[in-house]
Amino acid sequence: VRELCEHAVAAALGAGASYADARAVVRRSQVVGTRNQRVERLDDSETEGIGVRVLVGGAWGFACDRRLDTQGAEAAAAKACAFAKAAPGGHRRELAPVEAVQGKFRTRVERDPFAIPLADKVELCLRAERALEHEDVKVTSASVRAQREHKVFTSSEGASIEQELVECGGGIDAMAARDGIAQIRSYPSAHGGVSSQAGWEFVESLGLEREAPRVGEQASALLSADQCPSGITTVVIDAEQVQLQVHESVGHPTELDRVYGTEAAYAGTSFLKPGDLGSLRYGSEHMNITADSTTPGGLGTFAFDDEGVPAAREPIVKEGVLSGFLTSRETAARIGSGSGGSMRADGWSRMPLVRMTNLHLEPGEGSLEELIDDVEDGVFLQTNKSWSIDDKRLNFQFGTQIAWEIKGGKLGRMLRDATYTGQTPVFWGSLDGVAGADEWQLHGLTNCGKGQPGQHAHVSHGASPSRFRNVQVGFKQ
Amino acid sequence: VSALELAERALRAAEGDEALALVRTERSGMARFAGSEVHQPTLIENDAVELQIVRDGRLGIASANRTDDEGLRALAARAVEAADSAPADPDFPGLAPEAGPPAVDGYDEETAALSPEEQARLAAAAIEASELDLYGFFTSGLAELALASSTGLAVSQPMTDAAVLALAAVDGASGYAEQTSWRLADVDPAAASQQAVEKAKLTRGAVELEPGSYPAVLEPPAFAELLAYFAYDAFGALGLLEERSYAFDKLGSKVFDERFSLADDALDPRGLPKAFDFEGTPKQRVELVENGVLTGVVWDRVTAKRAGGGRESTGHAPPSSLRHWGPMPFALAVGGGEADSAEQLAETLGDGIYVTRLHYLSVVDPREGVVTGMTRDGTFRIRGGKIAEPLVNLRFTVSVPELLAELPGLSREPVLLNHNAYYDDRYATGMLSPAVATSRFDVTGLGSAPGI
Repeated sequence: VRELCEHAVAAALGAGASYADARAVVRRSQVVGTRNQRVERLDDSETEGIGVRVLVGGAWGFACDRRLDTQGAEAAAAKACAFAKAAPGGHRRELAPVEAVQGKFRTRVERDPFAIPLADKVELCLRAERALEHEDVKVTSASVRAQREHKVFTSSEGASIEQELVECGGGIDAMAARDGIAQIRSYPSAHGGVSSQAGWEFVESLGLEREAPRVGEQASALLSADQCPSGITTVVIDAEQVQLQVHESVGHPTELDRVYGTEAAYAGTSFLKPGDLGSLRYGSEHMNITADSTTPGGLGTFAFDDEGVPAAREPIVKEGVLSGFLTSRETAARIGSGSGGSMRADGWSRMPLVRMTNLHLEPGEGSLEELIDDVEDGVFLQTNKSWSIDDKRLNFQFGTQIAWEIKGGKLGRMLRDATYTGQTPVFWGSLDGVAGADEWQLHGLTNCGKGQPGQHAHVSHGASPSRFRNVQVGFKQ
Repeated sequence: VSALELAERALRAAEGDEALALVRTERSGMARFAGSEVHQPTLIENDAVELQIVRDGRLGIASANRTDDEGLRALAARAVEAADSAPADPDFPGLAPEAGPPAVDGYDEETAALSPEEQARLAAAAIEASELDLYGFFTSGLAELALASSTGLAVSQPMTDAAVLALAAVDGASGYAEQTSWRLADVDPAAASQQAVEKAKLTRGAVELEPGSYPAVLEPPAFAELLAYFAYDAFGALGLLEERSYAFDKLGSKVFDERFSLADDALDPRGLPKAFDFEGTPKQRVELVENGVLTGVVWDRVTAKRAGGGRESTGHAPPSSLRHWGPMPFALAVGGGEADSAEQLAETLGDGIYVTRLHYLSVVDPREGVVTGMTRDGTFRIRGGKIAEPLVNLRFTVSVPELLAELPGLSREPVLLNHNAYYDDRYATGMLSPAVATSRFDVTGLGSAPGI
């Protein structure tokens, strides 16, 4: 395959490209899903192909072909160059320099998730589902997944990289309904559970069956819970919802391609400007955000990104001040800072885009209990349910599956249908406490959408429960 | 080799098991541009085969895009392993029988034959027609879906689609337009671009608005997106059977304004026609709402079997990767009203707000149809029946049933809106929607000014 990539790069150079890279990818995925004790999905898919990216006269071209043979490689190279030659525009593109490396990387796994019999995966889901059953629970569901991606990257600058990334995960949901009210609880997170770049030992560590009775019981209890009252109050937010807050209101706006407007028509832009680097007050001094593509177990962990740039750990927000962007070689050259390292493509048939890798809120001090202790009147919010943020990543509204009233530093009655809303820098400015490293959790999600044609990215976030003051909380609005 | 021939080869690789082979092919190009320059071109060639094998009522699914004999044999082996790993499902409806799908439009030779150079040229036509920086794409593609099964099913459909999306944007101003069709001749990139520019010019100097409930005109892109978020859950049979969707306990009830009628109609040549679904069942037009009365939901073979009582599939099975969503109304068609235009609807309202497009919607409560999101690229105040000052982007949180409960008017001619974000394999879908006037649109917060 390496020779095939080199052949594609040579073909592109022969067709007039000043720069070319080729990625050959073989991806295998398994999904097992059960719902109400029936197997809903039992899928085993493989896809392979080669994608060739070129610069011709400063214009990008990208074409791909499923055939991992000389014909496919040559066809993709020729089409990418033909398109680039015909593409309109002024074409002033430079790439930040990167050392041309020969490298290899492989996810460390204890138990290969593809060596686990499918029947065992089905049985795990069915067992967890049975443990979810509870009064008024109408739908129980469980799922586990696994993915192995083998990819080879070569470039006209001499890079030659081979990586094999393995990930797996799972989750459970219980949906209860009665008298016109429907409520859902999930574990370990909403929207399909969580994943990690690891072996099957990660799925086993989740304890899906162990946690299921609590999840089913809470789904049922929510039907009788009071609605979350509206008002401006103190909120303590669990690690999972803080991770989504980081994703939507820090991760996406610090993608430098969005800052330069290249996602304007679809995913949107950013409230940040290139000149804000090093000076913009993003949040309070408790806010420390790090992009880290070396995090063990992270879905955004690799040795090299899809431009051949080495993995790194870099600050994005330091003590509340914007200190870095997520960049590609092209955007790094444009801003004159950094060297890329965040370019990722969804398989062989998509062009790499600036994507989050692993983006973390660094831990503070103390425990969740101590955060709550210091709240006279507030709400504890747990597990995402709905999410929306504007095209500049300023105005957001999130809903959570469950909430608890906080009175006098203690958790009180359960509340349903809680939402909270705010403006990004104001909200992060109200951060006055982040729990410590003991409470810090790493969760991987697989549904981050961006680009046209659309691409899914798998990214991880680490966070501890956090406390924000003077937040607008509401009931469904 | 045609898609159907490939499906039949895959079926032979199943070696006598009860099986269904599904082939999806794609030849597409997308010229994505930003700041009036193409920056993300993507040209795709792919043939993907999915093999569903059934053993004693146990279903296993595997897919691959290696189509040589060895690749197909390996595919069959993985599908067999999956089937053998599943417990029997007493509700498994079996594979679809042989069927003669209806003849539909949806394939155009000119669209299918577009070269990368021509796709780049059509993107250039949009860019050159804009006096403001332009963001968006031109795309066209040929996709084919073919199914062959041991039950005698042998169907295939080549489908073309072409679309232009134009966002004209500068600091403090942005406007939006889109066009989609299965025929390239219906898509005019320069006209879409100019429409976006004209809208953008009106958005300079946007002002804030006090949150509250307002009458509103929603242009087709805005209404279609909002309705889709509600309808995908509300009008599918799975949510009904599971007692969790809005439609549960409301079938046969008048719940919306009598001016509102909604169907799912993949056979309509004004849309993106489809002849059969992902189980191979012929597509049917399904009336979902008739004059405000909730009359139906869409079904696939799985949910129809589960419902019992002689219920049959309406031809709405999703791809297997979306099976957990249940049957989906992917070809929604809203009945038109009597107004000539969205501007005339503004005259009907007299006072309110005017919304061009929405952004980042999320379902807050599926049972009650509560959806939140933002407006963008052309939000205005309506005063004295006329479009007045531009507004900043607005956060809304609406109960879609409440929004549909009082519709003072709809425009006469529905337009086709592209609902394909082009994730995964290409399978163009869209909604036929007019502009609507509603008496209630709940603004719950303020965003930033329009523009880049």
